[in-house]
Amino acid sequence: MSTTYSPRQARHAVAPPGRRRSPAGAVLLLGWAGVAAVLALWWQDTGAVVGPADWLIGAGRIAGLLTGYSCALLVGLMARVPVLEQGVGSDRVARWHASLGRYTGCLLLAHITLILWGYAVQSHTGVVGETTTVVLTYPEMVKGTIGGLLLLVIGLVSARAVRGKFRYETWYYLHLLTYLAVFLAFWHQLALGADFSTHPLARGFWYALYVSAAAAVLWYRIAVPMRLNLRHRLRVASVVREAPDVVSVVVHGRRLSELAARPGQFLRWRFLAPGLWWTATPYSLSAAPRPEMLRITVKAVGDHSAALIRLRPGTRVWAEGPYGALTADRRTRRKVLLLAGGVGVTPLRALFESLPARPGDLTLIYRARTADDLALRYELETIARLRGARVHYVLNQADGRSPRLTADLLGGIVPDVAEHDVYLCGPPGMAQAAYQVLRSAGVPAHHIHHESFEL
Amino acid sequence: MNAPSSRPLRRVLLSTLTTVGGVLLLLGLKPHVTTGAAGAVTQSAAPFPTPSASGTSPTGGSSSASGTRTVEGDTVQTRYGPVQLKITLRAGKISAVSAVQLPDQNPRDQEIDNFAVPQLTQEALAAQSANIDTVSGATYTSQGYIQSLQSALDKAGG
Repeated sequence: MSTTYSPRQARHAVAPPGRRRSPAGAVLLLGWAGVAAVLALWWQDTGAVVGPADWLIGAGRIAGLLTGYSCALLVGLMARVPVLEQGVGSDRVARWHASLGRYTGCLLLAHITLILWGYAVQSHTGVVGETTTVVLTYPEMVKGTIGGLLLLVIGLVSARAVRGKFRYETWYYLHLLTYLAVFLAFWHQLALGADFSTHPLARGFWYALYVSAAAAVLWYRIAVPMRLNLRHRLRVASVVREAPDVVSVVVHGRRLSELAARPGQFLRWRFLAPGLWWTATPYSLSAAPRPEMLRITVKAVGDHSAALIRLRPGTRVWAEGPYGALTADRRTRRKVLLLAGGVGVTPLRALFESLPARPGDLTLIYRARTADDLALRYELETIARLRGARVHYVLNQADGRSPRLTADLLGGIVPDVAEHDVYLCGPPGMAQAAYQVLRSAGVPAHHIHHESFEL
Repeated sequence: MNAPSSRPLRRVLLSTLTTVGGVLLLLGLKPHVTTGAAGAVTQSAAPFPTPSASGTSPTGGSSSASGTRTVEGDTVQTRYGPVQLKITLRAGKISAVSAVQLPDQNPRDQEIDNFAVPQLTQEALAAQSANIDTVSGATYTSQGYIQSLQSALDKAGG
């Protein structure tokens, strides 16, 4: 419990604001329009398809064009563009990136195989000899080969099965090599892509695609964070133990209202202390941001989070954000249910404090193992008292059995749950189970707001 | 908002089938026979006058005392670059075809030239006309070759 964070009365206990439409549909439409443009380019540029070589090379070229297109998309998706991070939601964008990444890896393999095979059939040579010729004598192909191999290695390391065998940091820094790989592979597309050599317009489109992806990365991943940290000068103010393995870190900074962080959002935090500075980790704000301070609450699940308890006041902090779309903008109904599992309570704690609501409209259900594990319990109860909101704890039984979250249990606490907007945050298994229960209790899918970083 | 759960296997299967099907469809919708200018030229190609039929003295090109002469064909612009041929006639028969210009902007062009041109030359010498088949995988070069060859024969026979 932190005295500096005594909850404040919400300033405006009025009707919910109008729902802001998620830009996800528009972003997806734009992405698919690009696919159509790429295929149209191929179509317009391809004559007769005669014989097996033409089929192989044709398929290889389509795969290659799509690989090149989606590489730019993959970079763009991870550029931390606000419309993606805050509009679509960081978790959803990360899932898009992961599935598009897997798909692109397959396309790349198909492109390499089909093109080399097709060329070999066409020129009546062996695949090995043809590969040597292509790699060593075709323009930009040494670079292209290195780029392609890098991409395949990175793809392999990122695959679900293999990723767990590496430390997160190994995976992360290896992943940064993607930029180099994409850069290296870019040039052979223009030098050898038959569609680009004959069409200045197509070449312009390709340059525009890659230049905008690169510009977005430089701006939103480098320039914006630098400006943020120079302006706000964040430092650790205090570290508070909230529960046996849960700590809160209070961070002070200047002019934090200009950060425009909203309750429910998170930042990526890099604590400039020995052993911690090389990892940036996303943690949600566990209280509505104040003009001079922010707070995160973290459960010790890994090396990084466990080390936070040893942070000394005064430690410099490098933060990036705010990100995330689990905010008041999502809301469309008067009544709101916040459903928290374990440390997932943190963003919901911030929303519990700040979501505009009349007395009786706001309910928080907090699932935890034991009463000792209820982090932020006293703050939650204070907020409930001040706001006329309700808090319910769902704890394991005395024999350690965990209660099943059922529609009946939910109905017992919130009889009109179907009339609520639901904000859901918890470990993946719990969130998934809760989602199904909410749906069966009659809550429409578009009224369930959740954020899940499990890929 | 989407459900947190999804069926990964079904999604993988679906996207694979969609992609493979889509690519096959795109390729399948394209024509599968060679068409275009060269095709028409081949169809209308007049047979080269045989030595017995042509009693006239040869015109155009350069001739030598031994009755051998060379004729250059037109430069035909293909998508990948110009094609121009030179034919050698001995006693009214095509005895050799050589290339003056071929697409050579990148190694791929050269590779295609390397396998396609000898094959086309062999066909031309056997047929003694420009009425020859295109080489698979070298459609554009073949079309250029046939057109330039026809123009050379026209000049020689002119």
